[in-house]
Amino acid sequence: MDTFVAWMESTAVSRAIVASRVIWPVCEIVHFIGLSLVIGIAGFFDLRLMGFMKRVPVSAARDLMPLAIVGFLLNLTTGATFFIGKPHQYVGNVAWWAKMFCLLLAGLNAMFFETTVGARTINLGAGAETPRSAKIVGAVSLASWLGVLYWGRMLPYIGSAF
Amino acid sequence: MAQFTAWLQASAIGVWTRESPSIWAYPTVLTLHTVGLGVLVGANAVVDFRLLGFAPRLPVASLTPLYRFMWAGFVMNAITGAMLFASDATAKAAQPVFYVKLTLIALALATTAVIRKRVERAAAIDGGASRGSTTRRAAAASLLLWTAAIAAGRLMAYL
Repeated sequence: MDTFVAWMESTAVSRAIVASRVIWPVCEIVHFIGLSLVIGIAGFFDLRLMGFMKRVPVSAARDLMPLAIVGFLLNLTTGATFFIGKPHQYVGNVAWWAKMFCLLLAGLNAMFFETTVGARTINLGAGAETPRSAKIVGAVSLASWLGVLYWGRMLPYIGSAF
Repeated sequence: MAQFTAWLQASAIGVWTRESPSIWAYPTVLTLHTVGLGVLVGANAVVDFRLLGFAPRLPVASLTPLYRFMWAGFVMNAITGAMLFASDATAKAAQPVFYVKLTLIALALATTAVIRKRVERAAAIDGGASRGSTTRRAAAASLLLWTAAIAAGRLMAYL
């Protein structure tokens, strides 16, 4: 791991990220905008799956999901920039691994939804009750994204990054 | 002003937020501020993108419960924001970007209030707000203002 960190920090990209006074703050701003999109758009869909806001058709709530994916891609890109810039802050940081675990959980949960309960849920209209399995998927999704946010924000305090 | 910020910074809440070694002090207050931001701006984004023409099958009138989430996010951030300000009041009060942030939030809230009135009379716009209409312009302004408020907030750590 130390070799990997040393190698990454020796790369030109990593040096450029750290040397710039602009890249890091701009990436942080974008990371927080992406975070809002993921929490807002995916959270909206999750709440509907959980049975809240029943006047919203499940199918229509899902139509906004591409925007959550845009938010996720913004954060994947800016997050990778942070990691490439200062890998030593993250690889030995328990909060970072907890964040990655929550991300993995969110991803597996979404895959589970798409391949199983999703098919009999996404076409439900306004007022329809969602199946119990979809409620659980929604709750796990919301909890894991909030977990991603929590551990990300705790990086400097629990794992002492920065 | 200098007297007020000095008093605030020395107050029990200012000292606790800044100096308590507890994970429940500064780190948790900061995390809740981020959660509130995500909920407030995210719920706004759902309404704004819908009014801009995304997800046309989504009935605008069905979005009214989101205003409860926006309020919850706003109240959470007003409280945690006041605590974060108290923890470092003199320095923060001297930062121009802090006033930029407060102004952007005030403008964003006013825009959100304008949009809310229209969402509550949604029958008129359920087919989607027409291009160039006030509703569309307000939705675009809302997205820009909330985004700019996030940027100003983040820049407080750098400027």
